[in-house]
Amino acid sequence: MGIKFNKVDFKYQGNDNKAYLALSNITLNIKDTGEFITLIGETGSGKTTLVQHMNALLTPLSGSVDIFGVKINRENVKKKKVKLNPIRQQVGLVFQFPEYQLFEETVQKDIIFGPKNFGVDEATAIERAKEVIKVVGLDESYLQRSPFNLSGGEKKRVSIAGILAMEPDILILDEPTSGLDPLGRNALLDVFYDIHKKLNKTIIIITHDMNTVYEYAKRVLVMRDSYLVYDGDPIHLFTNKNIDNWNLDVPDLLNLIHKLEEDLGIQLPTQPRNEQELFEQLKVVLS
Amino acid sequence: MKNIVIGRYIPGNSFLYKMDPRTKIISLFVLMVAVFMIPRDAFEMMFIGIGLIVLLLLIGKISIKRVYLGLRPLMFLLIFTFVFQILFNRQGPELQSWDLNYSFLNIIAAAVLVLFWIFTKKYVRTKILYFAFMLVGVIIILNQLSLGNVFSTGQLVIHEEALLIGFFIMMRLIIIVTLSTVLTLSTKPTDLNLGLEAVMKPLKFLRINTEEIAMIISISLRYIPTLLDEANKIMLAQASRGVDFAEGKLKDKVMQIISLLVPMFIISFKRSDELANAMEARCFIPGATRTRLHQLFWNRLDTVALVVSLIILIGSITVRVVV
Repeated sequence: MGIKFNKVDFKYQGNDNKAYLALSNITLNIKDTGEFITLIGETGSGKTTLVQHMNALLTPLSGSVDIFGVKINRENVKKKKVKLNPIRQQVGLVFQFPEYQLFEETVQKDIIFGPKNFGVDEATAIERAKEVIKVVGLDESYLQRSPFNLSGGEKKRVSIAGILAMEPDILILDEPTSGLDPLGRNALLDVFYDIHKKLNKTIIIITHDMNTVYEYAKRVLVMRDSYLVYDGDPIHLFTNKNIDNWNLDVPDLLNLIHKLEEDLGIQLPTQPRNEQELFEQLKVVLS
Repeated sequence: MKNIVIGRYIPGNSFLYKMDPRTKIISLFVLMVAVFMIPRDAFEMMFIGIGLIVLLLLIGKISIKRVYLGLRPLMFLLIFTFVFQILFNRQGPELQSWDLNYSFLNIIAAAVLVLFWIFTKKYVRTKILYFAFMLVGVIIILNQLSLGNVFSTGQLVIHEEALLIGFFIMMRLIIIVTLSTVLTLSTKPTDLNLGLEAVMKPLKFLRINTEEIAMIISISLRYIPTLLDEANKIMLAQASRGVDFAEGKLKDKVMQIISLLVPMFIISFKRSDELANAMEARCFIPGATRTRLHQLFWNRLDTVALVVSLIILIGSITVRVVV
């Protein structure tokens, strides 16, 4: 189960009839529970195209994607052999720009739009809306406001709430923290981490923030020029791989640890993943 | 959605690309008038016209497939006018007539055929041909069969004029759309804008602000592809919330369209706001006199092209007046 990519290729048609490679020979396996994945890479490397394959918005040019046992390939989709809508309920995808999906008069109507499309009755959907609006860090008074009078960050939260209300098994977020202030960003990331921990759901986040990758991710995927160049844990990526070639950055915490090792000669017993862990280890080492 | 080519510029390298946009715009108008001047009974002239268009596409290295893609959205309109002409135009001598028998069973048989067509049309590649087959099938059923008691009879008569006018309207539309597609395919939006502005200059005497009109047109043309891409993204975003744009009942369809249109409007307003700000930030003043980065030059090629299109116009006028 989960999502399996099998030798997937995808091209976009440009204005001049040229084809632009977006995905080349992607083979990838994502479990339906217990994963926390970050997807990184330069702009234009195919990250968004990759996640749009995960809920069958795009169909591979060659190869196939297995989503919860449903095989998505050119032939199956063309002949309408597969039903795509149930897949989109199971794999929730939040787009990068909330402007693309908000359209209702009130925030509540917008949040219940998704669940209602998947056959949830209105009363249940409203219940869910009341829950998820708190989950994303807004209060219930927002439900009656118009989504177009909200600030950028609030719109983003509402669009995430709209997907959360669908109760997907796998949650995919395309740059969920862009345009948010630092405090709001950390709060939202904690929300995703909580969902992941409590419900053991698989979460996939596209991000450009290496600190997020290092602190939260159990697994990291790196895209470069339409190829998947790295699939593994973040510590290995940032310590061993030659990441300059992929235009990636080293997380602040790792830089600090390197400085501690080189300049002060402090050797830490394990690799700390966040500030708290670093502090605890330093306390032990220094005392 | 992706195949709409109206207003899209495709880079290329032929004499059409080297021509002055003014020439192209004026020639377009001259040729359009020429097409309308062709009299209804001058078949040879219409075929010469079509031949000239194909020649233009071949010499101009414009892919016929592209032009066909531009015509495809019009297909419905073309067939509709043709069928309408045949059914309702009663001028000229009769060419062919069929007796139609209306009985309950006949009508049911015809309805079954139409239903069969509705359900199977998505599996057939040449939809237009299939539609024609369906129409012919319905006529044959009503003509040949007389099942049960016939409560009324009618006649389907095709008149000569109907066929002629239907054919001519179709051909005129095709030629005009092809010509304008050639113009937009081979002219950069900025050049097109310059050309329009120059061509509209005489209107200034009527106190019409031609510069602004040219700018409005060029901005609209520029934003067609952008808005199409945007619409595509919105459709994907709504599809991931369970909107199935391919299927659904009428009530769902209305909701689907609203979920597409509202974000479209809001994004367009936002875009136009940003564009206005960006233009003001670069000190754009409407109606101010300014120099051009790109100057238009008149070449010998332009003179030749204009003369050729004028000859074509004069030719069709002469035929209309003399013959």
